[in-house]
Amino acid sequence: MEFGTQTIEALLSGYQKKEFKPSEVIGAYLENISARDKKLNSFLQVRAEETMAKAKALDGKMGEAVNLPLFGIPIAVKDNFLVEGWQATAGSKVLSGYVSPYTATSVKKLQEMGAVIVGKVNCDEFAMGSSNENSAYGPVRNPWDLERVPGGSSGGSSAAVAAGLAAVSLGTDTGGSIRQPASLCGLVGLKPSYGRVSRYGIVAYASSLDQVGPFSKTVWDSARVLEVMAGFDNRDATTSKRPVPRYTEELKSNSKRAFTLGISRSWLEGVDPDVAKSFEAALEAFKKLGGKIVEIDLPHTKYSLSTYYLIAPSEASSNLARYDGVHYGYRTQNAKSSEELYSRSRGEGIGREVKLRIMLGTYALSAGYYDAFYLKANQVRKKIQEDFEKAFTQCDFVATPTSPSTAFKLGEKTDDPLKMYLSDIFTLPVNLAGLPGLSIPCGLDSKNLPIGLQLIGKPFGESDLFAAAHSYEQVRGVFPLPSIAKGKG
Amino acid sequence: MLSRDEVLKIAKLARLTLTEEEIAFYQKQLTRVLGHIQDLNQVPTSNETFVQHVPLDAEPFREDKAEPFANHEGLMGNAPAVENNCFLLPTIVEHS
Repeated sequence: MEFGTQTIEALLSGYQKKEFKPSEVIGAYLENISARDKKLNSFLQVRAEETMAKAKALDGKMGEAVNLPLFGIPIAVKDNFLVEGWQATAGSKVLSGYVSPYTATSVKKLQEMGAVIVGKVNCDEFAMGSSNENSAYGPVRNPWDLERVPGGSSGGSSAAVAAGLAAVSLGTDTGGSIRQPASLCGLVGLKPSYGRVSRYGIVAYASSLDQVGPFSKTVWDSARVLEVMAGFDNRDATTSKRPVPRYTEELKSNSKRAFTLGISRSWLEGVDPDVAKSFEAALEAFKKLGGKIVEIDLPHTKYSLSTYYLIAPSEASSNLARYDGVHYGYRTQNAKSSEELYSRSRGEGIGREVKLRIMLGTYALSAGYYDAFYLKANQVRKKIQEDFEKAFTQCDFVATPTSPSTAFKLGEKTDDPLKMYLSDIFTLPVNLAGLPGLSIPCGLDSKNLPIGLQLIGKPFGESDLFAAAHSYEQVRGVFPLPSIAKGKG
Repeated sequence: MLSRDEVLKIAKLARLTLTEEEIAFYQKQLTRVLGHIQDLNQVPTSNETFVQHVPLDAEPFREDKAEPFANHEGLMGNAPAVENNCFLLPTIVEHS
């Protein structure tokens, strides 16, 4: 039997019916990786022997463990998550050779429920980027078109699932790093509400914005991963104590509800014509489901880019101060003083875009500039949050295209940082407001590249988000996979 | 345009050694991004408003209880240099 195109739901059902065993499935995914990933560069570490041993151990437990919610599911994990015994480079040379001494809470929960890690996947250095071209380990290529980027920063996570190298993957999203690559690779990508999933064991980028979330082929799969990994964690003081709903059950009971979608027309200017067309068609589909479309006003979202590029770099400049060549990671040779040891280790070990963001943050927080930059950005952030609060009195979700364009070519946006940052124009405000956002494929453009629809929900409104996306998925039909996922191309 | 000295000052504060080529590169890039960010000045804001990003039911306070970390070897194994179970750094005070 061929594996690679199945959903989690289908794999679980196959295990239940004893159609195949975990070692067959995991073995097939490992073979897919070795056959296909040379073209994609999505995996940074694979430990086939150890992974197969885990799968075989599950074979022996099929009787008792087969009802685990993620029994025998092959999962890829972004390289900024810590998994004990595995490397965690976060796409940076400064962390090359770093071996995690413990496991992130989110990953641990998935492993306890039967998931098997098939590898650690590539990403933009420290999750900073929108194309995966900022990785110290080379760019990842889009499985739909190898000349194009998969999006970023979780580009390896999206390429791996789209190409059938993992059934599901984990990424992190600070300004769109799950939703944008999901959109560019034709997958469902979820950034949960701030506080929904523990960040313990994640390499921190901007702590008031970072969230953990899944990439999957379907909404049900996304709901399944979230219901396993969400919840309070004593080791992450920002996690919420709200109970975690059984999303997969609620998704079916709620999906008959008719939802109201809010659209801000002025925000949508400048979107590629194919993307705009596909977005309008998705809105029509919601209307056919009994839903309503209302015009809303989000006057401050146009300041999201500026707000984000003050807050995120400021937090990053503080979070990344720890990479100093002393306790772990890259260390420069022949430093004559401690000052020189820090500055040269950082200067040599950290890449171009990350240095830019560290310096932006250092500048914004430096004496005399704090009020004008960091404080001001936080005040505007509050206004963006209030815009959404107001909008949610008129609608259940805010809908946008996930990205203003489909996958662009490698090198196309690397010269101008602002050009690259604009890829996240629809995703940034969602992190700034702490809201959940989901990207779902809604069409293909004239070049046969996937287009994504973003639904933005109320705080902790993941259940409704899944329900709406699930009903849309039913009318849309099964979304195609790139030919490489079927072992071709 | 940010001056060369301004870039060097930021780099020093950030503990980043830059090459000559990088100094010129970041002069341009920082100027470009900081120029865009000026649009925030168009937004009237009052000093009281500040963002609440932590969920209201999160509990930032917990008992400050130390727990032994099981994988000591794993932690020390990542050090660039170790001696007698301590992180080894270059000598910075020379003996006379």
